[in-house]
Amino acid sequence: MAFTEEPGKPRNFQERIGILQDRIYDRVFHNYIWQSIFRSGYPNTPRNQMLVVATNVFLHLHPTRLHRTHVKITHTYCLGGLTFFMFLVLTVTGVLLMFYYVPDVNRAYQDIAALETNVKFGLLMRNLHRWTAHAMVILVFLHMMRVFYTGAYKPPREFNWVVGVILLVLTLVLSFTGYLLPWDQLALWAVTVGHGIAGSAPYFGDETQLIVFGGYEIGPNALIRFYTLHVIALPLLAAIFMAVHFWRIRRDGGMARPL
Amino acid sequence: MAIEAPPVPGRAPGAARPRPKREREEEVLVWPDLVFVEFISAVLFTITFVILSVLINAPLLNRANTDVTPNPSKAPWYFLNLQELLLHMDKAWAGVLLPTIALGFFAAIPYLDRSREAQGIWFGTKYSVRITIITVVYATLVCGILVAFDAGDRTKFEYATRWIPSCDNTAQHVGFPCLRDEPGAKHLGIVTTKDFSKRLQFSIPWPDALGTDDGHLDWPRDLDRIPVPFNNVDCCYGSLHLWKGMNLNIPDIMANQVIPLSTIAFFTVLIIYVLFRLGWVRTRRDVFITMFTGVLTAYLVLSLVGSFFRGQGQALIWPWEIKVDPG
Ligand code: HEM
Repeated sequence: MAFTEEPGKPRNFQERIGILQDRIYDRVFHNYIWQSIFRSGYPNTPRNQMLVVATNVFLHLHPTRLHRTHVKITHTYCLGGLTFFMFLVLTVTGVLLMFYYVPDVNRAYQDIAALETNVKFGLLMRNLHRWTAHAMVILVFLHMMRVFYTGAYKPPREFNWVVGVILLVLTLVLSFTGYLLPWDQLALWAVTVGHGIAGSAPYFGDETQLIVFGGYEIGPNALIRFYTLHVIALPLLAAIFMAVHFWRIRRDGGMARPL
Repeated sequence: MAIEAPPVPGRAPGAARPRPKREREEEVLVWPDLVFVEFISAVLFTITFVILSVLINAPLLNRANTDVTPNPSKAPWYFLNLQELLLHMDKAWAGVLLPTIALGFFAAIPYLDRSREAQGIWFGTKYSVRITIITVVYATLVCGILVAFDAGDRTKFEYATRWIPSCDNTAQHVGFPCLRDEPGAKHLGIVTTKDFSKRLQFSIPWPDALGTDDGHLDWPRDLDRIPVPFNNVDCCYGSLHLWKGMNLNIPDIMANQVIPLSTIAFFTVLIIYVLFRLGWVRTRRDVFITMFTGVLTAYLVLSLVGSFFRGQGQALIWPWEIKVDPG
């Protein structure tokens, strides 16, 4: 059929709608601002799909391609990725909690109590922070088990496994330092047990207690130390080790596969 | 990132075989295949946790008060296993040394098991599933039995050792091993491992030339303050002289270090040996599967015991009997 009509002239209502849709799409995605953020449209060719992963700052943690077996859910159950996701959720909710919390023994408890009752979504944020923290501990263990039982620590991934063990310790210590912050009876006495355990280190027990807890019992010093460790020192360390961890996965030739 | 196709082992060169697929053909693109899975799982987790957080509130008890000690007070669940271990052995071992050794062991696994076989697939060795299941059951039983064994006067072990006589507190030297009881209390057998150092007494004839002054070596009396060589010398900036002023308490070391640690070592070696004799543990990888599984199972079981079976004064009780005294 030959083209007789000029393109662009709608013949009926449906075509009008179609043109309107195109216009809106064009306005939203092809304007100056959008294109200053995303340089190209939806990547619908393999080449562009690889480019988007390689050039996007968040996606470039990934390789551009990976082996078929590794996208099967049952190979990793996404456990490492979910651990990382928990870390992200904890960062977001944690920052929100920091707006309302002052690490002072006279204020901490009231701040948490007020957060739960007076702040919109305050209770939800605290709950999210708490439950995702527990989830992260569980997930990091499950991830370690997945890596172990798939034999993925074997050469050349030895060192990344060691980085993982460091991340495991960091996760536990992060969770433990956060435990004290609400400054309620649960927090105080749980951390007192930990304080006792740290003090039982042979020869260096006293020093450990002094350095980590700031004294021979749990008080203002312990609170400010735990707070500082919990909100800046440990997350920073964890982020650095995670960066190394992810980078190493790629440098070690992607994830482990049968030889 | 290109991955070289690995050589296929054990095949004669030139033997007929299908053309191996090129690496590229086996690969998928991260966008969309992986990014999609990641996105979906992130969304599912977000939804789940928002629902959970709407339904269940994080605990907030009374304001912290150093004068009011709740009974029992418990560590967070992932450290409860250490708190549990503290009940059974020397605190330095339970709280610091054993966990450090466990982590060091974890970190060392790839350097000790360097074979490249069986990687990248679940349970890569022939019997690994079997080994794992058996070890989980075994470690659960061993932990449970040992905890019950060391739990106090409710245990069978206490009945089984009642035949050991009560000590005659007036005798100079007790020849036959005996158990000291509280004055007026009923006679008990061996209740916990600590009784080996606290309540058990015996003596053997011993030449005075070898360190005694009354012709007898009395357990625990003569052995609980053995000076360490050079423990009275002043040197090295005081605190660097680690054993300054240190005396060894042999019965205590036996009860709190030697017995618990050799028990752990014994049960570890036992399962590996048995699985080896059965022909199921064949490679180093299998040995490490046994040990890794055992350590993680013990970690979990002891946490569960600490969470659900420890009541006031850390007494071993049933979960429904636990009452927390807020102090
Ligand atoms: C904060 C904690 C951790 C995070 C966020 C994390 C994240 C990840 C992610 C996203 C992967 C990609 C594959 C997957 O999702 O399974 C991975 C792989 C890996 N992880 Fe972790 N991980 C953590 C802790 C650990 C621990 C505790 C270990 C071991 C002790 C470990 C050892 C490894 C190894 C060896 C790989 C490579 C696996 C393979 O080649 O198949 N990681 N990790």
